Amino acid sequence: MLQQLIALIVILFFVARLFFLKKKGGLPNGEFVFWLVFWVLAAVSVLSLKWLDRLFAGLGFSASAINIFVYIAVIALFYLNFRLRLKMERVDRALTFISRRVALDEAEKKRTQS
Amino acid sequence: MSIFCVIPALNEEKTIGRVLSEVKEFVDVMVVVSDGSTDQTADIAERAGAVVLSHPVNRGQGAALETGDEYARGRGADIVVHFDADGQFLASEIPEVTAPIERGEADAVFGSRFSGKSNRIPFMKRVAIIPIARLVNRLFFGLNMKDPQSGFRALSKKALAKIRIEQSGMAHCSEILHRAARSELRIKEVPISVHYPDFGQNFLGGVRIVKDTIIGKLMD
Repeated sequence: MLQQLIALIVILFFVARLFFLKKKGGLPNGEFVFWLVFWVLAAVSVLSLKWLDRLFAGLGFSASAINIFVYIAVIALFYLNFRLRLKMERVDRALTFISRRVALDEAEKKRTQS
Repeated sequence: MSIFCVIPALNEEKTIGRVLSEVKEFVDVMVVVSDGSTDQTADIAERAGAVVLSHPVNRGQGAALETGDEYARGRGADIVVHFDADGQFLASEIPEVTAPIERGEADAVFGSRFSGKSNRIPFMKRVAIIPIARLVNRLFFGLNMKDPQSGFRALSKKALAKIRIEQSGMAHCSEILHRAARSELRIKEVPISVHYPDFGQNFLGGVRIVKDTIIGKLMD
């Protein structure tokens, strides 16, 4: 019960931050809706853990709902980390391309001047 | 045949002047890519008669080599030699590395530190980094090279047209090999000498190379 209360307070904090960011205009509509739905679903899940335990047991899982959520979260984090690495690699290559152009253009300028 | 020597350099003011004075007699054009250097590297190189290409920020050795290669392509180089700025290689061995290309026997020639000439290789490099690099090259690219991580190599005009280095960091060695093999270029290894002023890559550097190679493979 206490754990659920703490989880709800944390979720409430993030929802409040979400509305604050939206009000400040620093969050696009799509992002706002995505995170709002995410946190609302998280709150609903916290409030219906017993029902979810029964649901997962009925589906054949031996672990409790909260354990399954942790497993899913870990998998999602690994996947997001991987996506982030690939994105960083693309940004890195773009930065290299710009540095190269600057170096070559300057050398060309020097060559035509001399 | 016009031979361009591409030398990536990051804060090498202590060695670049000597390296260029030694390289000068063996090549037609010296290209120093100052990779975000904050010391006198670019000025010294320019005074020594090199064409200097300056990256505004540090992008890594692979990126610097590709910048030099791009310049050489634009200037119509027949052979491009990749050489280090820290003085670990012998300039007098440049003709031995370019010879197979000049004779029309190879398109890409790789200097090998493990093919005959007696070299004092750091322990970790000898027992861990190079064996791992060999294994990665064999597993990922099916290449059987004695020295897959050598930075001393020569590329013909044909090889230069086919090989574009995308790995910014140290994984470019494996990448060049891989692209050369994939393009069905004629590859040759020749023995070279090496002297390590600060004992080169450490073990973590080797791990980084493997990691970059795998990420690069996923990006392809």
